[in-house]
Parts: sequence; structure tokens; C-alpha cells
Amino acid sequence: MIIAMAKVRVMGPRDQLARTLSAIQDLGVLHLAPPPVGGAVTPPTRVPRDEREPRQIRRILDDVEWDLAHLGPAPAARAPAGGPACVAWARSARRVRRGLERIRERETALEEERALILKYRQFFDAFRSLLEAERRWPRTTAYHVLLRPGDDDALPRLRQALTTVLAGAFELYDRRLGSGETAVLVVVPTDAATNLERLFEEARVEEIPVPAAYGGGSLAQAIPQMIARLGDIPEELAALSRERETVARSARAELERARAYLNDRLAQIDALNRSGVTAHAFVVEGWLPAADVPDFSRRLRSACGEDVLVSEEGREEWASAEAPVVLSNPRLFRPFEVVLRLMPLPVYGSLDPTPFVAAFFPAFFGLMVGDIGYGLVLAALALLVHWRSRPGTLWRSVSEIAGAGALFSIVAGVLFGELFGDLGTRWLGLRPILFRREDAILPFLTLAISLGAVHVLLGLILGAVSSRHHPRQALGRGLSAAMLAGVIVALLAVMEVLPRGLLTPTVIGLLVAFPVLIFAEGVTAPIELLSALGNILSYARIMALGVASVMLAVVANQMVGAMGSVAVGVTFALLFHLVNFAIALFSPTIHALRLHYVEFFGKFYSAGGVRYAPFGRWTHGAGRRAS
Amino acid sequence: MNLVWIVLGAALAVAVPALATAWAQSRIGAAIAASMAEKPELSTTAVLMIAIPETMVILGFVVALVILLRAGAAG
Repeated sequence: MIIAMAKVRVMGPRDQLARTLSAIQDLGVLHLAPPPVGGAVTPPTRVPRDEREPRQIRRILDDVEWDLAHLGPAPAARAPAGGPACVAWARSARRVRRGLERIRERETALEEERALILKYRQFFDAFRSLLEAERRWPRTTAYHVLLRPGDDDALPRLRQALTTVLAGAFELYDRRLGSGETAVLVVVPTDAATNLERLFEEARVEEIPVPAAYGGGSLAQAIPQMIARLGDIPEELAALSRERETVARSARAELERARAYLNDRLAQIDALNRSGVTAHAFVVEGWLPAADVPDFSRRLRSACGEDVLVSEEGREEWASAEAPVVLSNPRLFRPFEVVLRLMPLPVYGSLDPTPFVAAFFPAFFGLMVGDIGYGLVLAALALLVHWRSRPGTLWRSVSEIAGAGALFSIVAGVLFGELFGDLGTRWLGLRPILFRREDAILPFLTLAISLGAVHVLLGLILGAVSSRHHPRQALGRGLSAAMLAGVIVALLAVMEVLPRGLLTPTVIGLLVAFPVLIFAEGVTAPIELLSALGNILSYARIMALGVASVMLAVVANQMVGAMGSVAVGVTFALLFHLVNFAIALFSPTIHALRLHYVEFFGKFYSAGGVRYAPFGRWTHGAGRRAS
Repeated sequence: MNLVWIVLGAALAVAVPALATAWAQSRIGAAIAASMAEKPELSTTAVLMIAIPETMVILGFVVALVILLRAGAAG
């Protein structure tokens, strides 16, 4: 249900504008309207400071938000009391940001150093004994090379090239590393080093460089230092983490206070830009729930004095498209408001489809899953998510929707006699009350199409109801619903499901209604009527997904006897059921949503509503509600 | 021989829409991936967009079932 809104006008002496706006912000219920300028009412006078202040606040807020995002989860100390201190906050936020950036850079450098050392350690572990002996080789030079994985010919080609250039005066050792690369150690006489370096340069083979941080010298000298460094890096990272926690403990509270104040100040500046003034008075307009108007008026006058007046504008003075939208539904339907978040809000004054989604979405889901076993597993998952989630969060709503889906799946499972496919029939003698889905495909298709006809007709009727203030549009939509029902009756009469005598009067009725429909809805009305028939056929997907689900479950059960070994067969069967369950969660959800968004909402839903974003305090969630 | 044509018809009724669905979803998936790189909040809408072409293969499946049932070849 869309809550009834009222548009109010707040007026008072011009010198009380700032105080009144502050009181309105404290109350946090008024969604501000665009500035009421016209005639004697003009926007408030702006001085250069009014242009500078929002820019400065946004700059400080950028640093504050960055700091809070990177401070980590350390708890904050109690917020110090005191008034605003924008200059101090600007300096403090910038200082904290520089400090945190330095900590992040140092952490990144240490992580990169550790990754590099680990790579060298593989090489060192492969050639430890040789590298340790390297220092004792007189008049020799050692070269350390890593060959890329996948090139199996590289090592023989290197050996061949060295033989050609150095006439066999070399030693070559190779080890395959865990990463797939090949570590190669080449030892040559020092006077042949130049030839070898030229060969490497021509073949574009790169020696593993000694990291600059370890000075000159050979890899054999640097690697022990690097291994020792591996022990120091975790301590340095821990020290940086402690430094970050110290910064968080000292700065978080003040940063959060700064964020709240600065966001409130930006909202106040925006509110000021939405007000109008005359020579002696101010005017502020906005919306709030109609039931809250008396309380709002009383509390505002209590805070600002009797000079401030609140008056409610007549309904005829504003258009529905301007009013913000708040959805309010009974507890049973409220979780399904989440489904509407994927769509733009409905226009104020139109229909809130939440109750219909709450009725039909679980029903479609249940018919597609249609299994007692899968329904019970889903119910268990829904309970787990419900227990782990907090009230009012998205996950809580998802768990409640999943619970409804599980309930309908179990009910449909009882109707179709399915428990993990045909296991219920084979083990427990479970019998269907309606029909068995894998055998009765046409009856199931008939059920799905019938459900689609009801759903689409309901959508058209809701379209007629929601456009009741526009008689011609309402006539067109109502007539579309009646003609669609007439087409269905005529088809059923032709198929002799209904008495054949109904055919002639139905066809006459359709012929009479046809020109009236074109008059009401235009020449495209027949095309839309045909598309409505196509929309009904789209509900055949309920049958398709339901049959696919039960067939997969039956095949999973047949795996047990088909594998030779019972243990292997049971394992495969469980895996198949798991895959089928995952598909049963995903596909029916997507297609049930699609049936609502496209086939159902397309008949009556008027998108384009404005989200209710009251002017309030940041600490009360005002800024975050608006985003 | 008739049975061969019937089963072939049913197979084509699923296979051709499946190919069309796969082609459509590949184009939509690529476009959605590019959009989500700039606007990650589109993720939920993206899943729905990718699922919309599945109508083709589902209705193809229905047609195949009707062909087989009519021919008495199913079950």
C-alpha cells in the first residue's frame, strides 16, 4: 500500500528561517519540495560564502570518508563533546589520510617483497648446496636463469648454444620448480663470462636480478639475507597494523562526529536553496505522511514559536507525479517489498503490487519446484539465514521470501506426490493428489496456462482500477480484460471444455466490443490484446521448468542402480540432487520474477515514483535513506 | 521412418531456440559485464536481463513436448 501523503507549507518571519530549518531537520519527516518561487517569493540571497562553503565541505568530507573507510574495524572511543570545528577537522582528516596512505604503501611494499623472496627461495632451495659452494669455486662466475613453463625445448637449446659458444667449458644444473618454471644455474670460467653474457643478450634470456635492496654482489650472497628477511616482514606488518589501530582509536570518534556534522550541514544548505523568501517572511514546502501532519505542526510550533505556521495544501494543488512514495504493507507482505526494489517505484496514487507479488510469487515458485524434499531443504536454509540475519536487513527479507517459497514447494510436492523425485513413491508409497508431473504433461501445461490467464486478467483489471480517474483509459483496460476473458471462453467453447452454445454470444460480444476498444485505446489496442494472449502462453514456462526439475530428480534416483557399486551410485545421485536443487533455487526465482515484471506489471504498473527522502539528521539515517 | 522425423522435429524444436538463446545471452552478458564495470549496483538487474532470452528455449521445450506427446512417442 502506498501511504497517503500531504503537502504542507511552512511559513514564518524571515529571520527565523535558519532556526526553523534546524527544527525541521531534527524532526526528520519532511521531504522538501522544489523552491516555491513566483510572485513576491524569491530564493534566499546568496553571498560568495554560500558558493564556497559546499565545495569546502565536500573536500573535507572526501578525506573523512576515505579515512573512515580505511581505518578498519577498531572500536572508537567516546565522541568528545563540542561544537563544529571545520578547520581542525580539515587538518586532522588530511593528516590521518596521509598517515594511512603511508601505512598502506608500506604494507604493499612489504607484501611485494615477501612474494619476491618466496620466488627466490624456490630457486635457493633447488640449488642450495651449489650456491653455498659457489663462493669456493675459483675464477668462475655463476649465472642464475629462470625458464618459463611450457617451453620444453628451451633447456636443450640452451645447452646446445652453450656448447657451441663455450666449447664445453661450462657446468649447467637445472631443477623444475613447483611453479612450473625451470631454475637453471650456469657456471663458467670468469674469462668466458663476456661470451656467455653476449649469448644471453642475443637469445633475450634474462638472468634473475639481485634485488636492489640487497646491494651488489651475487645471488648466492643475497639469498641468505633475503631468507632472514622473511622472518622480519610479518613483524613489520603487525607493527603497521598496530599503528593503524592506534590511529583508529584516537581519530575515529572525531571523524565520525565530523562526518555527521558535515553531512547535516550539506543537507541544511540544500534545504536553504529549496526555500523561498519575501521581504519579511520565508516559505518552505514539502511532503510528509498525511497522518503525521498534526504531530509535525504541533512539534514545529513548540520548537519555533507561534510565529511559524504550518498549513496543508489542498489535493488539487499538486500532481501525483511530484509526491514521494512510501510503501507500507502488513507484516506478512512486507518482505516482498524487496522484489519491487529492482523496479522503479510506482507513481504516487497508483497501485502498490506488493500484496499480489506476495500471493503469486511463492505459488509460481512452488509449482516449478514442486517437491517435498527440496522444499524441506529450502525451509532449513531459510531458517538458518533468518537466524543469522538482523531484523530489517535484506537477508532477513530474503529468508522470509525463501520460507514462503519452501512452504508452497512442500504443498505442491504433496499435490504432485514428489519427494526427491520419485523416491517418495518408491520408498513410502506416496501418491499424487492432482497428477504426477512427469506423466501428465498436458494437464500440467493446462494448469500453468490457466494460472497465466488468471494472472494476466488480474493485471488488466488492476490496470482498469488504477486508471479510474481517467475514464477513457479505465474503459479501455476494462474492455481489454473482458475481451481477453471472452477470447478464452470462445476457445474453451470450441474445444468443448465449456458448452458449445457459449461460442456464438461470446463472438458477438467480442465483435461489438472491438470498435469500442479501438475508440478507447487507439488503433494499437488489438495488437496489445494479441500480446496479452502471448503473455498468457509465456506462463508455459512453469510447466517446462517443473517437468525439467522432476525429470532431473528421477534421473538422479536412477543413478543409484546404474553405477554397479551402491556407494558410487548414491554419491552420484546426491550430486545430481544437489545440482538439481541449485537449479531449483535459481531458475524458478528468476522466471517467477520475470513473469511478474514483464507479463503482470506491464498491464498496470506505473513506474516513476519519487523515493521518500526526508530532510533529517545524518545520525538518524537521513542521508543514507536518501542514497 | 515417421518416428525418426517426429523425434528429429522435437529435437530441432529445442536445439534451434537453445542456439538462439545462447547467442542472445552471450551478447547481453558482454554488454552487462561492461555496464557493471562502471556501475556495480546493476548486478541484480543484470541477472534478470540475462535470464530474459531463456523464454525462447523454454517455449521450444514446450513445443517439443507437445510434438512428442501428440505423436505418442513420449513415456
